[in-house]
Amino acid sequence: MHTLPQQLANGLFLGSMYGLIAIGYTMVYGIVQLINFAHGEIFMTGAFGALTVWNCLPDGMNIWAALPLMLIGGAIVSVLIAVGAERFAYRPLRGAPRLAPLITAIGLSLALQQAIFVWYPGADNAKDFPQLGTHPYHLGSIAIQRNDIFLVAAAVVCMVGLAAFVRTSRTGRAMQATAQDPDTAQLMGIDTNRIIVIAFAIGGLFAAVAGVAFGLKYGQITYNMGFQAGLKAFTAAVLGGIGNIYGAMLGGLVLGIAEACATAYIANIPGMHQLGGQGWANVWAFVLLIVVLLVRPQGLLGERVADRA
Amino acid sequence: MTDIPLTEPLQPTPLGTTHPDAARSDSFVTLPPGVARIATLVGVAGTIVSTFMSWTYTSAFPGDLTVNGYPGGLQVLTLIGAILTGLVALGAFGVKGLTWLVPNRSPNAVLLLAAGTFATTWYAVIAIAQELGGLANLNPGGFVAAVASLVLLVGTLGLPIDRQPLDPSGAEYYELGRLSENGPARGTYRWLRQARLNHGELPVPDPARAPAWVQYLTIVVVAAAGVKVLTYGLATGYTELFIGYLILVVFTLWAFIAAGLTRQFSKITADHRPFAALMGVVAAVAYPFVQNNEHWANLGVNILIFGTVALGLNIVVGLTGLLDLGYVAFLGVGAYAAALVSGSQYSIWSGVEFPFWAAALTGMAASLVFGVLIGAPTLRLRGDYLAIVTLGFGEIFRIAVNNLDGVSGPKVTNGPNGISQIPDLSVFGYNLGDPHQFGSITLGRFANYYLLMLVITVIVVLVFTRASDSRIGRSWIAIREDETAATAMGINGFRVKLIAFALGASLAGLAGTVSAHVTYSVVPNPYQFSGAAPPNSAFLLAAVVLGGMGTVSGPVLGAALLYIVPEKLGFLQRYELFAFGVTLILIMRFRPEGIIPNRRRKLEFHQDEALLPAQQALGDGTAALGKAGA
Amino acid sequence: MTTTTSTTTEPARTPDGTPLLEASGVIMRFGGLTAVRDVSLTVNSGEIVGLIGPNGAGKTTFFNCLTGLYIPTEGSVTYKGTVLPPKPHLVTKAGVARTFQNIRLFANMTVLENVLVGRHTRTREGLISALIRGPGYHRAEARSRERAMELLEFTGLAAKADHLARNLPYGEQRKLEIARALASEPGLLLLDEPTAGMNPQETRATEELVFAIRDQGIAVLVIEHDMRFIFNLCDRVAVLVQGEKLVEGTSEVVQNDERVVAAYLGEPFEPEAAPATAGSGPAAEPAPEAAEESAEESAEEAAAEPAGEPAEEGAAEPAAETVAEPEEGRDPEPAAESHPEPTPADPDPEAGPGTQEQENDR
Repeated sequence: MHTLPQQLANGLFLGSMYGLIAIGYTMVYGIVQLINFAHGEIFMTGAFGALTVWNCLPDGMNIWAALPLMLIGGAIVSVLIAVGAERFAYRPLRGAPRLAPLITAIGLSLALQQAIFVWYPGADNAKDFPQLGTHPYHLGSIAIQRNDIFLVAAAVVCMVGLAAFVRTSRTGRAMQATAQDPDTAQLMGIDTNRIIVIAFAIGGLFAAVAGVAFGLKYGQITYNMGFQAGLKAFTAAVLGGIGNIYGAMLGGLVLGIAEACATAYIANIPGMHQLGGQGWANVWAFVLLIVVLLVRPQGLLGERVADRA
Repeated sequence: MTDIPLTEPLQPTPLGTTHPDAARSDSFVTLPPGVARIATLVGVAGTIVSTFMSWTYTSAFPGDLTVNGYPGGLQVLTLIGAILTGLVALGAFGVKGLTWLVPNRSPNAVLLLAAGTFATTWYAVIAIAQELGGLANLNPGGFVAAVASLVLLVGTLGLPIDRQPLDPSGAEYYELGRLSENGPARGTYRWLRQARLNHGELPVPDPARAPAWVQYLTIVVVAAAGVKVLTYGLATGYTELFIGYLILVVFTLWAFIAAGLTRQFSKITADHRPFAALMGVVAAVAYPFVQNNEHWANLGVNILIFGTVALGLNIVVGLTGLLDLGYVAFLGVGAYAAALVSGSQYSIWSGVEFPFWAAALTGMAASLVFGVLIGAPTLRLRGDYLAIVTLGFGEIFRIAVNNLDGVSGPKVTNGPNGISQIPDLSVFGYNLGDPHQFGSITLGRFANYYLLMLVITVIVVLVFTRASDSRIGRSWIAIREDETAATAMGINGFRVKLIAFALGASLAGLAGTVSAHVTYSVVPNPYQFSGAAPPNSAFLLAAVVLGGMGTVSGPVLGAALLYIVPEKLGFLQRYELFAFGVTLILIMRFRPEGIIPNRRRKLEFHQDEALLPAQQALGDGTAALGKAGA
Repeated sequence: MTTTTSTTTEPARTPDGTPLLEASGVIMRFGGLTAVRDVSLTVNSGEIVGLIGPNGAGKTTFFNCLTGLYIPTEGSVTYKGTVLPPKPHLVTKAGVARTFQNIRLFANMTVLENVLVGRHTRTREGLISALIRGPGYHRAEARSRERAMELLEFTGLAAKADHLARNLPYGEQRKLEIARALASEPGLLLLDEPTAGMNPQETRATEELVFAIRDQGIAVLVIEHDMRFIFNLCDRVAVLVQGEKLVEGTSEVVQNDERVVAAYLGEPFEPEAAPATAGSGPAAEPAPEAAEESAEESAEEAAAEPAGEPAEEGAAEPAAETVAEPEEGRDPEPAAESHPEPTPADPDPEAGPGTQEQENDR
């Protein structure tokens, strides 16, 4: 199991999930320069939304048939929360000092997390999530879980869809314009409020997909899973160049692969045998972030933003 | 000069403008003026009388409200509220000898106090009825109290009220216009806007005209009253009393603001800053002697540690505008460093036992090193990156100390078990672990640590005030306000930010060294981003934001609130963090400047006179420049 | 500045003609867009030099290159013979201070504190001395305050020293920006549209202020849209169009240069479409505002046409300014942003009204 191709594949799966969440961060940041700290919780509520749908469906229903419904349920929850957060928490703060929306985001993140903890039945403990099946497929020496196939497929579909949307649709172009310069975009007749809402909605949608994928992958979801995942995803967004949607996905993949490889191989480095393993994976992820920020502050695909006078 | 909020809600009204009677508009309830006043006074009298009656049959409700002729428990709060309301009402009506209670002569203070009395009384009555199962459990005294306080409230609602003048910048009109899209909301919003009470923007007499001894006495009395009110609150034995206390304190403070008293008081403290600071310290030192109880001393130490760390964070966040989301890790670094050199047998260097000063320096130095390691790569970048890197650092710290247990990593921190059995400190041969006798008062272990921590708090306050009112502090604030402009003024942004970041980190490390000894053991658990109890990074940030960014007293007050309220409201436990998150959102939405926003209260008195001393001081230089400029 | 207290200033008025600031061959590219092409400019000591040009001509970008905010793609900038380091704070330290087109004060600091921040490079007290507060610290702080108050006196803001900068009226905010820049004891002051949004009285006051600054031996380089202001004030004027320096010379030379007129009014030159006079005064004046308007329009057209990469350039040229000044659109710049005065009039701005104006004004 510890072969390099296997680790790369593991990293790819993990990274796809980070990338999906990171898209939400990067789109919102690209347009309103806001770190939506609550995005990790939006991801988490998406997973709980999907679980709720599953619990409402009749017992013994085929998971493959239920999956689309779960995705829709999760997406509705996540998108509603994301859009609601924008409308009622962030929008009134536009033009406020830079720290104000950040602190609001932290508050929102805590409130969402605790709301699930307190009011979702049984959420004090980890909740079991339905599984796609336990028998892995084998591709040469690589074992691939079914849920990982779902994850990669979802990531590819989402990315292609998003790229097409941003490139070709009117709204997508308006989005790019707003990201470039909100004021001018507004003068050009673009309803920037609508664009911002759409950015939040897309972020929520992708987070919900990632939430379902997380549940399938790990078999359990918890009320506080959003914090770590959000932190990683934001790291991925910064790694890839914040504001760039392709960068977010690339950053996610790089981060996922780096984490998988660090878990497996760091311990083999002489003198560091105690610093490998799952426990240290997050540490290496952040070390990677700091190194990237030192070497290439704008991220892998980011463009250097000229200092504004 | 140290109290610098990020935002200032309103342009200050200069002292000396005419009393804006024009803004005093209709009361909420239409009553003939005489009737309103009489109702107010009758309500006060009735409420006072009611507190001497028995409110309930049984002593099952805590505080024993069954006694006739003597108030107890919540009745005392009602009594205090009613007396204050009566005095302030008489002052507002112009009764000689009491007008100083309402320097701006605004009836708003009366309304707020009446509302506080009403809320406390009705809370008590409802709590009795609910806990004992029905209104039948109320004695006539309870009904009298309820009715009398209602009469009081209605009476004050009939008084004319000073409204908040509309924002001169027109921002409110803009908001009204924006709301027009959805009709009913607009009506409500307009009503709320117009109903807003004027909070202390009305002109008040300059207290500097009062004799000096009056001003000094005021400071002493306020400091003493502060200790008394605080210790009373801490000593409240049951939740109902604490809630009643909280209601009354909030409304009373609000009323004092509305009356202009706080404005006068901040002017006095600004004029006599050293004396005020001294009295503040004296009051803080008095606390363990007045509240001579180890439990409350322990609470005091924790509040001081928490507040001191919040103050350090305030340098980073409030002054320099850098968002540090992993700040508690620096506290942790300090605590672990101190634990390692404390001589604890669980430390890997169990033989090493540093004296306190050396341990404190070690803790500071360790935090400083980490601060520089984190700051140096990230402070060159845009501010948002710092937020994520510090958040990441906080996580790394927690993971690392959990894993450095000799099994999943090198053995340094004993993992989740932490380093325990940290010996007590000994300062100048005075062992803080042992009780010490001062006259008739015995100071226990926590009281000793409280006093030690107080010294450190004073040091941090000094560092904060001195640094903020200096060349380096000004450059921090300039960076916060506009980094590009600051660098164009010759400020090396990176260097200055790194100094702030490192200073903040080392102050947290200093507090950490004490906290390691106070708690006997250091474990990874408290040092995380968010958790149910302070200190954690989210609570620290909230203490700063809630109290008032850039101020000295703000973060300390915020820390105290965030410590005491959860401690006292135990029943909230499950909802505590949820309430905390929602509170953060609401504060940012409605009062982003925090509880103590007023950096410039002092200036409001000076808007017109400011040039006088300046002109005198600068006579010569001015002439020279005038010539050169001509 | 010539004051009794200041220590590090140079003597009043170094002899004219010594080059103070020399920019040679400055090129600034943003990706495919060249915002400043090969501009050379010299400012001599004791001189007031104007920099004019249509919107998007690259004036502010050029300023940013001079002050280290941007690192020029090519070319060099020297001050008193030494190459300026590409860091804004080091440029200020070397003796070049600036103001901003869109006022950038420290809004929540008092007026006095704003100026004290300007003193940063001329004082040395660090954190340690601030904490210890020895006699040296008190002395330095007192001197800084004294100096700052002098500057406030000089700019007429002393009475408002304790006000928050955000509460100042617009015109005084501009003055405060100048006072703050002067606090760094510069040898050269760069002013970016110091009169934008001011009424005529305020503009005249600013004019006096700039003269007074020059009289203290500080050279001034000023960007302005108000032609009257520029031609009154400047010893020399350079015209920047599409990132290139078109002309440089005395006010008269510049006003009479056909290329400048063409650049401002558009090519081909059509008398009917030419800009307006404000018909109020006795002399027919080509109102600078009007010139500005058409300049803006024609600049947009012109930018699209002649340059190398037609489409991209046209779109990108205004964007150059946008990159530099994201908040430009919010500035109250009546001249640049609105087009309210359609009065048709004087077809021939070459009639040299500038000189008349100068006579009228002085």
